[in-house]
Amino acid sequence: MKVAKLTWEFPPRVVGGIARHCEGLAKALVQQNHDVHLFTLDFPGSPNYEEMDGVKVYRASTELGHPNFLTWVLLFNHFLSKRMADVSQSFDFDLLHVHDWLAAFSGISFKHYLKKPMVLTVHSTEVGRAQGLHSPNSFSINGIEWWATYEADRVIVCSQSMKTEICDHFNLPWDKVDVIPNAIDTTQYQTSVDREMVRKRYGVGYGEKLILCVGRLVPQKGIEYFIRAIPTIARRYPEAKYIIVGEGWSRDILEAEARASGHGGKIQFTGFASDKEVIDLMTSADVLVVPSIYEPFGIVALEGMATGVPVVASQVGGLAEVIDHDRTGIFVYPRNPDSIAWGIDRILSDPDHAKWLTENAKEKLHKAYSWETVAMKTVEVYRKVVE
Amino acid sequence: MGENHSFRSYNDEQPNQLRLLIMLHNIGATESSKALTIQQISEWTRMEAPELQGHLQKLITSGYAQSFRSEETDKYHLTIDGIRKVLSLYS
Repeated sequence: MKVAKLTWEFPPRVVGGIARHCEGLAKALVQQNHDVHLFTLDFPGSPNYEEMDGVKVYRASTELGHPNFLTWVLLFNHFLSKRMADVSQSFDFDLLHVHDWLAAFSGISFKHYLKKPMVLTVHSTEVGRAQGLHSPNSFSINGIEWWATYEADRVIVCSQSMKTEICDHFNLPWDKVDVIPNAIDTTQYQTSVDREMVRKRYGVGYGEKLILCVGRLVPQKGIEYFIRAIPTIARRYPEAKYIIVGEGWSRDILEAEARASGHGGKIQFTGFASDKEVIDLMTSADVLVVPSIYEPFGIVALEGMATGVPVVASQVGGLAEVIDHDRTGIFVYPRNPDSIAWGIDRILSDPDHAKWLTENAKEKLHKAYSWETVAMKTVEVYRKVVE
Repeated sequence: MGENHSFRSYNDEQPNQLRLLIMLHNIGATESSKALTIQQISEWTRMEAPELQGHLQKLITSGYAQSFRSEETDKYHLTIDGIRKVLSLYS
């Protein structure tokens, strides 16, 4: 099949999980002999066209801007459409696959212009991300999300909890939505890492515990609750060091919270880290904490499972479907520092149990979360709309 | 919904320099070829030059923006970390 994928985020333009999802899925589709043309936005240093493992990547240059966010989104969609218009002269696409509302304007226009079916993957919703609609922009985004699900021939989500959320919130027919989980390329995580060297690089001494948290620094990731758990953890493990990886608009607030905790000297914010650095850190950590309060899937938990680090995660959204409590990881209550501290102690105080959890996690990962499986399930959805 | 169960809105809490960072991103100052002068940024943002310069300096110190001199004028644009910081608002 000839597939035109639209996403605002694709490596090296990596913000959240969408870029990694699109990369993994697109490459797996190519491996199954599909022709994938991916339209995305430019990023400093990236070519406006390249082939990545067979995926044809077209980057649209946004030549006009505007301070207002929604106006800016409309403008970049125009340039995305322009790029698609050029390319669609040469290729007869079978369908369009749009990722999230940010690329919906172009996707919907081309659905009507090319008279081709459109599949939409909803990675998260505005009402979920913001836990309500609190501003005019939020109301608009919510409306665009509804419009995109209405225009789509089929909708894909990554977890049952997301299916329930969007069917309830957008009044979508239950049978219009397919659940296809996320995946990761486990081969990327099977690298040889010198744990002591990595720990030394981050100032973690011999015998000290390394507690890691990876995610965008935004409220939905719940990192403030992890920071609030640190004084409790520190009473039991005074030598523990805490590394928080990621970038985001809440960084200043979280850094202030870390300083105010009285343990600021032990908490390190690394900012954005490359995939390799994240793998090095996960492989070298004693615990990975995923304290999210809203998480449609939680790919970071899978990444942790692949590296063999024990995972402590909030029992919310997709995370609740990825992890089996006390079998492949430890669940804690969201927004609850005491519960997070308890979960971390459950891992650190019983290394044999922690090892057993990671072995189970790896086994589950290999069975359920491969890009090959995700691509096959996605093609089944494509066939439904094409036929 | 109780107070403890609502998110802070980024609109409520952004310090001025974060607002400036977002604006620089949305108007397209994302690489050296699209860098803007203080005067151009002032026209977009309606901020006076001295205030603007203070905020830009803080963004540069944080690694989110950078400046260079061209034709005897300082020009400013976001770094890759600055772009990622802005995009985190929307994702």
